[in-house]
Amino acid sequence: MLHVANLTAAIGDKQILKGLDLDVGAGEVHAIMGPNGSGKSTFAHTLAGREGYEITGTATLDGADLLEMAPEDRAAAGVFMGFQYPVEIPGVNNMYFLRTALNSVRRTRGDDEISAREFLSVAQEAMDLVEMPKGFLNRAVNAGFSGGEKKRNEILQMAVMQPRLAVLDETDSGLDIDALRIIASGVNALRGPERSMIVITHYQRLLDYIKPDFVHVLVDGRIVESGDHTLALHLEDHGYADFVNHDLDASGRPLSGAPS
Amino acid sequence: MNGTATAALPALPTKRDEAWRYAPHAELARLTFGPADAAVDVPAEIEAQIPDLDGHRVVVVNGAVDTGRSTLPSVPGLAITRLSDADPDAVAAHFPADGEPADAFVAYNTRFGRDGVVVQVDAGHTIEAPIHLVDIVIPGPEHNTTSTGVVVTLGAESRATVVETRLGGGSAFGAANARSTITIGDGATLDHIVVQDAPDTQISLTRIDVTQGAASTYRGRSFNLGATYGRVASTVRLAGEGAHADLSGLYFGFGDQSLDQQVDIVHAAENCTSRQSYRGVLDDASTGIFSGGIDVRPGANGTDAEQENHNLILSDRAEANTQPRLEILADDVACKHGATVGQLDETALYYMRSRGIREADARRLLINGFADQVVDDVDYDTLRAWIIDRLGHADA
Repeated sequence: MLHVANLTAAIGDKQILKGLDLDVGAGEVHAIMGPNGSGKSTFAHTLAGREGYEITGTATLDGADLLEMAPEDRAAAGVFMGFQYPVEIPGVNNMYFLRTALNSVRRTRGDDEISAREFLSVAQEAMDLVEMPKGFLNRAVNAGFSGGEKKRNEILQMAVMQPRLAVLDETDSGLDIDALRIIASGVNALRGPERSMIVITHYQRLLDYIKPDFVHVLVDGRIVESGDHTLALHLEDHGYADFVNHDLDASGRPLSGAPS
Repeated sequence: MNGTATAALPALPTKRDEAWRYAPHAELARLTFGPADAAVDVPAEIEAQIPDLDGHRVVVVNGAVDTGRSTLPSVPGLAITRLSDADPDAVAAHFPADGEPADAFVAYNTRFGRDGVVVQVDAGHTIEAPIHLVDIVIPGPEHNTTSTGVVVTLGAESRATVVETRLGGGSAFGAANARSTITIGDGATLDHIVVQDAPDTQISLTRIDVTQGAASTYRGRSFNLGATYGRVASTVRLAGEGAHADLSGLYFGFGDQSLDQQVDIVHAAENCTSRQSYRGVLDDASTGIFSGGIDVRPGANGTDAEQENHNLILSDRAEANTQPRLEILADDVACKHGATVGQLDETALYYMRSRGIREADARRLLINGFADQVVDDVDYDTLRAWIIDRLGHADA
C-alpha cells in the first residue's frame, strides 16, 4: 500500500534522509524507532508534505505519487499525520476546524459534504474514543490544551478523518501513563484491515500498548534493521548502540562482528 | 453662529505632531469645511449597507439629522434629540466655553458640527435595545467635509448600548469629521461600538472623548475598516474611583489604506482599571497604526492598566506601526503592555493543510481566527454577522 524507495530529504546542505526504503501493507502497523536526530520526524513530514525539504526517491500510496501532491491532496488520498507538537490555532473553533477538514477532503474525493447532524455523531464517537470531555470541541484548536489533550486531539482528528495511512509521530511523548493508555486504546480501536499505521517512537513502552507487526530501526537517515516486536524489546535492553557509530555494510546492516 | 465662528482656526496638524505622524497630510490639506448641507439624497446602495440592528436608529446625512430615516421608539428613561435642538446646558461638555481645542479638526467640528445626536439615559434605567447612530457622508459641491456631533450622557446606575456606523457614498473626495462626547455617571455602563466603513475615496476622522464617574464601565469597540485614511481617536478619562475602561478594536487594511487608532486612557482617580486590546490585519500596501497611551496622574494609586496590540501582516508591502506611550506619576500601579507584528503562522497553515484544508481556506481560517478575537466581543448577532460578512468580502 505504502511504498517508499530510496527516499532522501535534505534541508539546505544538511542531508537528513539518506535512502530510506519501506513497504507497508494494508492493515499493518509498523513501528519506527531510532535515536534523536536519526530522521524519524523528517520521514513523517516528507509523507505529510511539509515544505522546505529537497526530496528525491519514491513514496507512493496505493500507487499514487505522494511526493507530487500538496499536503491537502495527500490528506484526501488518505494520509494522516499525528504531530509530535500539535499546533495551536487561536480563534479557530475545534469543531469548525474538523468539519472544514472533513468536508474539504470529501469534496476533493468527489463526495457530498457531511450534514451537521451526521458530523455531530461522527465527532461524538471520536470524542468517546479518546475520552474527551464535553465542550472540548467548542474550544479553539489546541489553544491552551495540556500536552495530553493535544495528543488526544490528534487521535480524535484521526478518528474523524478515517485515514488510509496514519503516521503517528511520537504520539507518546510527554504523556503520563493514563493518557498513554487512552491514546493507545484509541489507536488500537482504529486499526483495521484497510488502514495502515506507522508509529514513530523513542520508547518501547508505547509498543506494549500498540503491538506492531514490524519494527524498524532508523539511524542516520536509513533503516538499518527490521524485525518483529521483539526487536523493540532488544532495543529497550541494549539501546541503539548496536546500530550507531559502527560502519554499515552495503545492505545497511551492522557489519558482522559488531558487538551486540 | 456664535462668536467662536469668527475666531481664527488652528493650523492643521503636521508630521511633527506625534498623534498625526502617519496621517496623509497632503490629503488632509485638501479638506474643505462648512455647515451641514440641506437634505441630500441617499443612494439605495448605502441604505442597504446599513447594519440592521433591531433598536433605535438615527440617521445623519452630511451633518444633518434625517428624521425621515430615523426610527425612535419612545422608551422610559431614554431621550434622543437633535444636537441642533439641544439645551446648551445638556451639551456643555461637547461645546466647552473655554480651553484650547485638541487640534484643528476638533476646532472645525466645534464650529460646523452643530447638528447630530444627543442621547440621554436617566439614572437607574437600562435601555435594552441598541441605539444606532448612522453617519453618512456624500461629499457635496460646497465643501467636501462633513462635521457631525454625538453627545451621550448616562445617568448614575444606568446602562445602554450605542452603535455608531460611519458610511459614505459618491465618488468625490471628502471626509467625515465626527466627534463624540460621552459622559458616564457613577455606576453606569456604556457599550459603545464604532463601525467605520467609508468608501476608499474618503477620509474618516472619528474622535471620542469619554469621561467616567466612579465605578462606571465603558466598553469601547472599534472596527476601523473603510476609508483611504480611517482614524479612530479615543480619549478616556477615568475621573471617578473604581471606574473601568475596556477598549478593543480591529483594523483590517487593503489596497493603500491607512488605519489609525489613537488611544489615550487617563487614570485620574484611584483604583481604576483599563484594558486596551487592538488587532490589525494588513494586506497589500496598507498601513496600520496603533498608538496607545496610559497616563497615570498623581494620586491615581491602585491603577491597573493593560494594553496589547497584535498585528498580522499579509503582504511584504504592508506595514504596522505600534507605539505604547506610558506615563506613570502615581504609586502602587500595575501596568502591562505588549505588542506583536507577525505573519501568518506557516506551521499552522501546514497543520491545517495536512488535515485536508485547501491553502486559501486555511489562510482565511487563520485570518478570521485572528480577527474573531475582537469580533466575538460584539454581543449583537446581526452586527457581528455584518462585520464578518464585510471581512469576508474584503478578503475575497
